[in-house]
Amino acid sequence: MERLNDEGQWIVLMGFMVCVGIFFLALIITQSTVVGQTTSEAVLEFPKTEIQDTRSEIIDIAKDWETYTTAKRTNLMDDLKVISMARKNAVVECSITPGAVNDSYYSYTRIIIHYNNGVTEYDETFLLSQPLSQPIP
Amino acid sequence: MVNDQAQMYTLEGFAAGVLMLITAYLVLGTTTVYTPGDVHIADMQLEQLGSDALAMMDTPDYYGDTSKLENIILGQSYSHAWFYANFTESLKRITESTDTCVNDLQYNASVYYRTDSGEVASYPLSSSIRSDLVSREPAVRVTRWVSVDADTANIPGIPAADQRDPQLLLVEVLLWRG
Repeated sequence: MERLNDEGQWIVLMGFMVCVGIFFLALIITQSTVVGQTTSEAVLEFPKTEIQDTRSEIIDIAKDWETYTTAKRTNLMDDLKVISMARKNAVVECSITPGAVNDSYYSYTRIIIHYNNGVTEYDETFLLSQPLSQPIP
Repeated sequence: MVNDQAQMYTLEGFAAGVLMLITAYLVLGTTTVYTPGDVHIADMQLEQLGSDALAMMDTPDYYGDTSKLENIILGQSYSHAWFYANFTESLKRITESTDTCVNDLQYNASVYYRTDSGEVASYPLSSSIRSDLVSREPAVRVTRWVSVDADTANIPGIPAADQRDPQLLLVEVLLWRG
C-alpha cells in the first residue's frame, strides 16, 4: 500500500499563502467600489446648493424687509415654505426681526433659518448689520 | 469496505472548493455593485455642473442689477432662446469642448410658483428635447430660487391673478445625458 507522500510541504504551504493573498485582494476590490458608490451617493443626497440658495434668498429678503408691508412679507414667506415643501420635500422656517440687537454703530436684523428635508437638518442664526445713520455717541 | 486513506487530500479538496465558491461570489458581487457606483459619480458631476450654470445665470453683472435669469422670467431683454444657448454652452464649457456622445447633455426647465389659492403650479421655461429622442438616461434635478422684484410684475406664463410683487419662484431643471 502506498503511503501519503510528505515531500514538497513548502511548495504546498506557499500555494496556500498565495491563495489567501488573492482572497484578501478580492475583498479589498469589493470594498473600494462600495466606497466609491457611497461617497457619491452621500454627495448627491446632501443638499449643499439648496441650503446655500435658500440662505442667500432669505438674506436678500431680509435686506428689504422693512420696506415691505405685512401682506408682502406673509406672501414671500408662504412662497418659500409652500414651494420648498412641494418641490424639495423640505421644511423651511424663517423668522426675520429687524433691530433685534443694537450697538453704537450698527443695527442688526436677526435672521433665524431652519431647513430640514428629513435627511439633513440645518439651523442658522444670522445677524445682518446695517449702519446707523446717527451713531450713538 | 470504505477506504479511509488520503484524508488530507479530501480535506484540501473541500477547502479549495469553498475558497473558489467564495471568490466567485465576491467577483460576481463586485460587477453588480460597480455599475450603479459609476453612474452615481457621473450624476454627482452633472448635478454640480447644472447648479453652477444656474448660479452663473442668476448672478447679476453688477450689484443691484437684475440677473439674466430674472430677466428671462420677466420676458424682458433676454429670451428663452438665450436661456437655451447660454445654458447648454455653460454646461459644455470645458477645454476642447466638442459634441461627443459623452458631452451630449439634454435638459428640461420649468418654473414653479404658488398660486393665489396656495397650490403649487408650473409652466415650462425652456427645453432641449429633440424630436429624434428615442430613449433617455436617468435625470438629475437642480433648482434655483428667483425673486421677482419688478414693480410692474408681468410674468409671461403665470396667470395675472397669481402674480404678486415681490414673488419667489423656483426654477427647476432636469438634466441628463441624452
